[in-house]
Amino acid sequence: MSGISKGGKKDTKMRIRAFPITMDEKYVNNIWALLKNAIQEIQKKNNSGLSFEELYRNAYTMVLHKHGEKLYTGLREVVTEHLINKVRVEVVDALRNNFLQVLNSAWNDHQTSMVMIRDILMYMDRVYVQQNNVENVYNLGLMIFRDQIIRFPLVHSHLRDTLLTMVAKERKGEVVDRGSVKNACKMLMILGIDSRSVYEEDFEKPFLIQSAEFYRLESEKFLAENSASVYIKKVEARILEEAERATHYLDKSTEEPIVKVLEDELIRKHMKTIVEMENSGVVHMLKNNKSEDLACMYKLFCRVPDGLRTMCDCISAYLREQGKALVTEDDNGTNAITFIQSLLDLKDRFDHFLHESFSNDRLFKQMISSDFEHFINLNPRSPEYLSLFIDDRLRKGVKGMSEQEIENVLDKSMVLFRFLQEKDVFERYYKQHLAKRLLLNKSVSDDSEKNMISKLKTECGCQFTSKLEGMFKDMTVSNTIMEEFKHHLQQSVTNLNGVELYVRVLTTGFWPFQSSLSKCNMPSAPNMAFEAFRRFYLGKHSGRQLSLQPQHGSADLHATFFGIKRANTGPMDLVDEGAASSSGKSLRRHIIQVSTYHMVILMLFNKKESWSYDEIKNETDIPERDLMRALQSLALGKITQRVLSKDPKTKDIEASHMFTVNDQFTSKLFRVKIQSVATKGDTEPERNETRNKVDEDRKHEIEAAIVRIMKARKRLQHNVLVAEVTEQLKARFLPSPVVIKKRIEGLIEREYLSRTAEDRKIYTYVA
Amino acid sequence: MPPRKKRTYATENEPETSSKRLCSKKSADSGFSVKRCTTWFNNYCAENDGSIGPDGIERFCKDLGVEPENIIMLVLAYRMDAKDMGYFTLNEWIKGMTYLQCDCIEKLNNKFDLLNASLSDPVTFKNVYRFAFDFSLENGNRSLDKPTAIALMTLLLDGRWSLFNEFVQFLEQSKFRGINKDQWYNVYEFSRHILPDLSNYDEDGAWPVLLDEFVEWYQQHLSKTSEVGVSI
Repeated sequence: MSGISKGGKKDTKMRIRAFPITMDEKYVNNIWALLKNAIQEIQKKNNSGLSFEELYRNAYTMVLHKHGEKLYTGLREVVTEHLINKVRVEVVDALRNNFLQVLNSAWNDHQTSMVMIRDILMYMDRVYVQQNNVENVYNLGLMIFRDQIIRFPLVHSHLRDTLLTMVAKERKGEVVDRGSVKNACKMLMILGIDSRSVYEEDFEKPFLIQSAEFYRLESEKFLAENSASVYIKKVEARILEEAERATHYLDKSTEEPIVKVLEDELIRKHMKTIVEMENSGVVHMLKNNKSEDLACMYKLFCRVPDGLRTMCDCISAYLREQGKALVTEDDNGTNAITFIQSLLDLKDRFDHFLHESFSNDRLFKQMISSDFEHFINLNPRSPEYLSLFIDDRLRKGVKGMSEQEIENVLDKSMVLFRFLQEKDVFERYYKQHLAKRLLLNKSVSDDSEKNMISKLKTECGCQFTSKLEGMFKDMTVSNTIMEEFKHHLQQSVTNLNGVELYVRVLTTGFWPFQSSLSKCNMPSAPNMAFEAFRRFYLGKHSGRQLSLQPQHGSADLHATFFGIKRANTGPMDLVDEGAASSSGKSLRRHIIQVSTYHMVILMLFNKKESWSYDEIKNETDIPERDLMRALQSLALGKITQRVLSKDPKTKDIEASHMFTVNDQFTSKLFRVKIQSVATKGDTEPERNETRNKVDEDRKHEIEAAIVRIMKARKRLQHNVLVAEVTEQLKARFLPSPVVIKKRIEGLIEREYLSRTAEDRKIYTYVA
Repeated sequence: MPPRKKRTYATENEPETSSKRLCSKKSADSGFSVKRCTTWFNNYCAENDGSIGPDGIERFCKDLGVEPENIIMLVLAYRMDAKDMGYFTLNEWIKGMTYLQCDCIEKLNNKFDLLNASLSDPVTFKNVYRFAFDFSLENGNRSLDKPTAIALMTLLLDGRWSLFNEFVQFLEQSKFRGINKDQWYNVYEFSRHILPDLSNYDEDGAWPVLLDEFVEWYQQHLSKTSEVGVSI
């Protein structure tokens, strides 16, 4: 070997100048033989006697003199030969005996020796390998190991089977040597060089297949033996176990696919079964308020596509069934309060589940809303009942509820309100009930009322609430006017003949009454008092018209009842003290609180002792239906209410029947309130009447919408028009396409719209 | 205007004579004359009203050899753009007869087939059909009462629409008390566009509710009769 001069300065790397001397064949072979021998020694783990520096230099020389290929090829041969003839034989021998350990140590040895070999041949790596685009030394070693050992059929299958068997054992609960599995997996990963393909093909794929099969069987067994909640917990446990297994001794990247397999086998394939399991599935959990179990199920089902949807569908069916049962009318008559309260309770229950178990998941939230919307509208009386419920809460005397509690209840009622499709029906009833509350002075507080109205305003806009607010204003204004009136009376020294008058002036448009169709003949005393007021009022507001509404209003009457029948019974309240005291204890005085109609009827008995029905009718001019009702409550109600007696003493009233004052009347109370026979909530004919009014209003609203839309758009196709109208009106009610069509036809007839000549399906606005 | 030819007989002096005498073979070959037309008109005039009334029309029809309910009368009225059923004014008469180039009965008789044939033209038919509605309306009304509508419809659509009989049947048992213009027009459109088996009827076709209900009724009617095994 010619001399190789070292570089000038001493630094960390050895700088050897290239030497352009060619080598001869023999020389090269010698070098190679040296190297080959060294490699083999390394493989035999006899590297201690070798000089790294010398070997490196030799390799360097070879490459330098353009014999890299020989070196490379030779290397490959040596490694291959070693692996085949030595290592593989050992491994195969150990197939039944410590296989993994033997394999593992062979692998370790291989790695170690390859590292050393690589170090020696590093120059080749840097230069030859780069230039010729072949695998570097280390990787070459890996590939040979992979091809000759791992992929050797016997080894290949045995390795796979061993690993799988161990996993299977562990799944059954046995303890296995995790370390060797871990090493094997690591090895496979490394053997993939820059990919995980070896690991994947040799182990992971069969692993996943086996796992799928295993869990398929296990799921069936579990399901057959266990309740839903137990099953879920077991599934959770298994998922954790597999994830941990992957992290600890398989490769971490396997975690995701194996968990997916589990999710698939254990959950997705059995979703419906789990959810619908009798006596333990979702319905059972809901019935028994098992929020925790539901939460577990939710978490689990989150993992699979459509898992939540499956749960949701089942819950929805149950909810709809419950809701439907609540809204179906009882044959015994439905109490509006319990109707609504039960719906509120149901909502609370499911909101609780939504919060506790379903972490406010939007899918579930929407499901609950749409279900409520569905069944609340199954009963056409829902709007009326809701109004009655709110009415009840706003009335005086609702004990045990603080302002805050009332507020909460009202808020929840608003939630139900949003679900109503026929909001215009609700509006109508709410107006009626509010009017009653205001006039009879029954509101628990003005603040609560105003609060409710502002909630409605936020929901529905001003149009909805403007009239309600008008009603309130009327009340306030009336109070002011009464103050002024009192003042006026004092100043002008007007005598109302002992009648204490309180007038409330109502603006016609705001209040839901039929403006006075009902006239009746007022007795003179109250009539004169009212006239005084009328003069006063019209003096202040000329150009207005006041009409008394006798179907509303109330009166307090002083009544004197004479116990014994005497020959000359005088009129009720004009008896002088003297005569009264002489008759002794049987004289009773009461204050009777009555409606206006009652007052009109009763005061007749000041003029005459007995009246027939016909006579009363003619004298008072009260409409038949109201007259009947009034007489019924005066004469045919409870004993403690019978201020009048009727002859004959039958339950019905006929034209000829005679009415007299019931002098035998007694009551423990001084103030006796005569109840009207009226029922809470509408009766059947009243309901129909309301419904008719609603339908009438709707016709107008639909037509207004059609005209509005057509005026803006000029030309529209039929379907588009129907869709637009529905869209505009849906905040109040849901018009059917047929009804809209009828209105369109009506408008065509009245020449607001016409069909275009070219296409009869397109309408145009007729200006 | 075609040139006027001198005539040898005096027509104006005998207003009561039958119109047949007004038109001899000779004049039938001559051109159209407004004067002759007017004279012809005056023949049927009622009193000094200036227009032909129901009696006059009856006579006119007799002369023509048709019943007053014949569809030809409708076509004539259409050409005249007559306003009221049962009455023709002079202007209307002149307008219509000028269009037809008829100033006497014979000429009109010759045009008979032409008039009938004109109904085969869809445009003409549609116009006549539509005209018939306004023509039959009584003053101030927006719709024809049911019997009138059915009668008029029979005149126009019987034999021209395969579902006509069923439609009348439906109308008679329905709650509709009259037909308004939009419904009238659409019945015709329906008869022209919708197949007898209703296969191309679509619910979103913006048909008046009257026709939607007819379709519903007809389909039920079909299934009922097919159950009984009666052929329609």
